Amino acid sequence: MAGDLPITSATLASEDLLVACHDCDALYHLPDLAEGQAACCARCDSRLLVNRRNALHRSTAFTMAATTLLVLANVFPFMSIRAAGQQNVIVLAESSVALWEHGMPWLAMVVGTFIVATPVAMCLGLLYVLLPLLLGKSLPGNRWVCRTIYRSGPWNMMEVFFIGILVSLLKLFSISEVIFGVAFWAFGMLILCLTAALAAIDRRELWLLIERSRSL
Amino acid sequence: MKAARAVITAASQGLSSCHTCGRVAAAAGHPCPRCGTPMHVRKPNSFERTVALIIAAVALYFPANLLPIMTVEGIGGAQRNTIVGGVFAFWETGSYPVAIIIFTASVIIPIVKIISLIILCVAVRRPTRNPRALTVLYRLTEIVGRWSMVDVFVVAILVTLVQLGRLMTIEPGPAALAFAGVVILTMLAAMSFDPRLIWDAHTRQSPGHPPHQP
Repeated sequence: MAGDLPITSATLASEDLLVACHDCDALYHLPDLAEGQAACCARCDSRLLVNRRNALHRSTAFTMAATTLLVLANVFPFMSIRAAGQQNVIVLAESSVALWEHGMPWLAMVVGTFIVATPVAMCLGLLYVLLPLLLGKSLPGNRWVCRTIYRSGPWNMMEVFFIGILVSLLKLFSISEVIFGVAFWAFGMLILCLTAALAAIDRRELWLLIERSRSL
Repeated sequence: MKAARAVITAASQGLSSCHTCGRVAAAAGHPCPRCGTPMHVRKPNSFERTVALIIAAVALYFPANLLPIMTVEGIGGAQRNTIVGGVFAFWETGSYPVAIIIFTASVIIPIVKIISLIILCVAVRRPTRNPRALTVLYRLTEIVGRWSMVDVFVVAILVTLVQLGRLMTIEPGPAALAFAGVVILTMLAAMSFDPRLIWDAHTRQSPGHPPHQP
């Protein structure tokens, strides 16, 4: 970790060579980091930026893995519940449709958003931004896509939802027999891969790559 | 321990940094030249918005905990569960880990979050002596908040699964909506709070002096 950076003196570099701490607004010259190094704010210890190894390639790889898992998660059965001599096999998307048919459109939309729409949008959005960048190219609207991915960050509660699934299943274990399907494990891995894809590249680095590819 | 040094802030140079991409530019009130997000020196009306959202969250906190979060109708008749009642039910059946998860996510986190947001709002209005600790408090508040949604999702999932299984019926109660409201409002409050105000208050208190370091 390169914690100690030269703090800007009275002579300021041009704007795009500066970085300001997100938490305390201290201003620094953009540090030159080797791969694997991170820079932290000298005043409040927040991470300013980090230069991850093979950031773009890793991020793309994780996104492609997530996309593959997404297909598995939606094709195979999620789980089956056996109780009172009756067995129900559940596919992911069915749960949302079933809620809608039971007259709970709001709940159906919430569930549908978290288990189907968000993963699909995240995978496709990341692929749309990352794949062309590997070739140094930029597709129209990629700034909007990337901005939406980052700004919706705190509201992407897929992992919270997954813990919710685990808790409810533990509640159901007492009254019925629950068997996990392939899609259950695929969905868990999908969440891990998407988190890893976003963590593999510093957002400042990704935005710099986008900016450069657009100006070519 | 690092040596105390005077720090130049972006704001003091008439610059602001983009919330989305981190680009520094003298473009407050305009879209960011790199990513197009509207730029601000500080989040607009940060203090007022945060206080308003906390008040709303506190108001919803009472119905969220006093009303039933779900009603289970089985062979033994209808049973109404509040959030805390659900935790007790898990504890009594011996599912201690689940009881602890739900208790932490649904009871402890919302209270701690509301209290720390109040501490932060009070802190930026007074001379702050420990801006580092407050910044850490803010970071934790921001990260941990979304996990409170677990209970709302549990209700949603149970309703779904049990409807599908036709074992009995589970209906979501009014507290589910109120509790979702508490979580969303506290998340919005944490987002609208600007941690840089802590450091502004700190420098205002000791102009010309290097920031105090513990």
